[in-house]
Amino acid sequence: MKTLEIKGEGEPKTPSVAPQKATSAYSGPALRIRGLHKKYGNLHAVDNVDLEVPEGEIFALLGPNGAGKSTLIHCITGLAVPTSGSIEVFGHDVGTHFQTTRRLVGLVPQEITYDPFFTPQESLLIQMGFMGLKPDPKWANQLLETFALWQHRRAYTRALSGGMKRRLLIAKALAHRPKLLFLDEPTAGVDVELRQEVWREVKKLRDRGTTIILTTHYLQEAEELADRVGMIRSGKIVLVEDKKTLLDNYQKRFLVVALKDRKQSDLLPKDAWARDDGRWMIPWESEAHLEQLLAELRGKIAHLEFSQTTLEDIFVNVMHQRNPGGSNNRGSNNHGQ
Amino acid sequence: MPTTSNPSNTTSQPEQAEVTALPMAHVGRFNFIGFQTLLLKEIRRFTKVWMQTVLSPLMSTALYFLIFGVALGSRLREVDGVPYIQYVVPGLVMMSMINASFLNTSSSLFQSKINGTINDILIAPLGWMEILSAYIAAAAVRAFVVGGLVWSTAAFFIGPQIHNLGLTLFFALTVVVAFALLGLVVALHAQKFDHLAVIPSFVLTPLTFLGGVFYSVDMLPEPWSNVATYNPILHMVSGLRHGMLGTGDVNPATAAVVVLCVLAPAAALTARTFARGTKLRS
Repeated sequence: MKTLEIKGEGEPKTPSVAPQKATSAYSGPALRIRGLHKKYGNLHAVDNVDLEVPEGEIFALLGPNGAGKSTLIHCITGLAVPTSGSIEVFGHDVGTHFQTTRRLVGLVPQEITYDPFFTPQESLLIQMGFMGLKPDPKWANQLLETFALWQHRRAYTRALSGGMKRRLLIAKALAHRPKLLFLDEPTAGVDVELRQEVWREVKKLRDRGTTIILTTHYLQEAEELADRVGMIRSGKIVLVEDKKTLLDNYQKRFLVVALKDRKQSDLLPKDAWARDDGRWMIPWESEAHLEQLLAELRGKIAHLEFSQTTLEDIFVNVMHQRNPGGSNNRGSNNHGQ
Repeated sequence: MPTTSNPSNTTSQPEQAEVTALPMAHVGRFNFIGFQTLLLKEIRRFTKVWMQTVLSPLMSTALYFLIFGVALGSRLREVDGVPYIQYVVPGLVMMSMINASFLNTSSSLFQSKINGTINDILIAPLGWMEILSAYIAAAAVRAFVVGGLVWSTAAFFIGPQIHNLGLTLFFALTVVVAFALLGLVVALHAQKFDHLAVIPSFVLTPLTFLGGVFYSVDMLPEPWSNVATYNPILHMVSGLRHGMLGTGDVNPATAAVVVLCVLAPAAALTARTFARGTKLRS
């Protein structure tokens, strides 16, 4: 696949009519980005991004507000025009083969958008048509059922609740059965129950072969769903790592103890450190090490709990340009007793 | 997800297996299904609010016809050899078509920008040709529906008046396309609803009323009758009047040249704007 430089045009001058590759024969990544830049005046929203996402994975793109997550997604989906660089979706360049790539890509936008003139059922059929597909009412009905919109299929979308509108956006993004799905903060503002339902659906989609790229502010969401994690800061990708590897490499486990007698702190290991609340964080590496620590502290402990570094801790360290698993890591009490 | 009643007597989840087997359907240079979908969506949009988009302009124009044509027209002499009540009909038809065409594209595109649904179009495999042609075609449908109803209403009272069908359709179509394009450009640049009202209120209405809808420029004193010839809408109205009545202020060939001189750069500019994604893609 020849990759052509994107020259900052909204649409290619001559949309390709050449026969497209059969996707089934394609063995490369679902998404390949090389040297992507997007500037708004002096602002470098996306700065020399290189990224590959293999087919069938859930990739979580994490970053603070304004880091460039949405801009990157917009460049891929056609909502923004890259300043330079190349983007390929299943081997097809998004600039020169935009008709093909847009058929392969689905987007659940961050903002809740809806057309007040149409019902959910109509919206799904219209989206299929935009994608160049003949209306498939059966598929539309199945999506409505899956996303609990069947009873509201003939209601005007403006009458739907926020959660229903969010679910409709996901259904619309799936209307043309995309192979690469972007979820731009899909659970922002939805309740816990719905969030978990969305997670279940996302996992099902991945299990059925859809490649998913997710941006989220909920680090727990990324930890729950992602196979790999990318972190973006000021438009630059600063970390891409397999989630398990990331957690294994940087995750530390701690004993959190309160001593009966604070003067006994000199009995603690040298790598232990005190929290603001006076409790001590003692890192441990293996079950044998843990048993040894507990034996040494027998009778001296007033309170004991377990803690470990989460993806959120790693994220905070990366965003503050610290070692992801460095000594600044404060740990989180997600196993407190 | 919690499920409700089953739409298709199946209890299975959507057939996601098909997701992995997306057929690489032939995608040609022109996404015809996409164009057709956008066109039908735009038509359904204005027909869903038909009282506002069709009935309201018909009522306004009928009132103009009643006041200017019937009440005041009975006191006026013939204009260019045509009874005044007949003379105003092409002007009223053209005025209603200009407004319908402009309002359809401008309000639709602007609303899509405001509510974010324009992104549904921008992420789809739709090029500028499909998007522009669908918006313009839908505007033309609305304009011809409104214009046709105005003409039919007048015909009910004074009989049908079509002198030259080809000329009538030429001027109706070119003017509708030109103002549909203008509506798109205005919607692209508008930041708030107020901006949408600027062109109809301060440009279209004055130019239309001063463009010979209700009178012949011969009835104006100099230099105003001469100044009026610089108003492109005068040429549009006059062209349609030639088509419907066989008479008008301006030679139909001159009117056609003026209309095409307005249309061609407007089309080129709008096509370039959409092709580049200006004000659409960030």
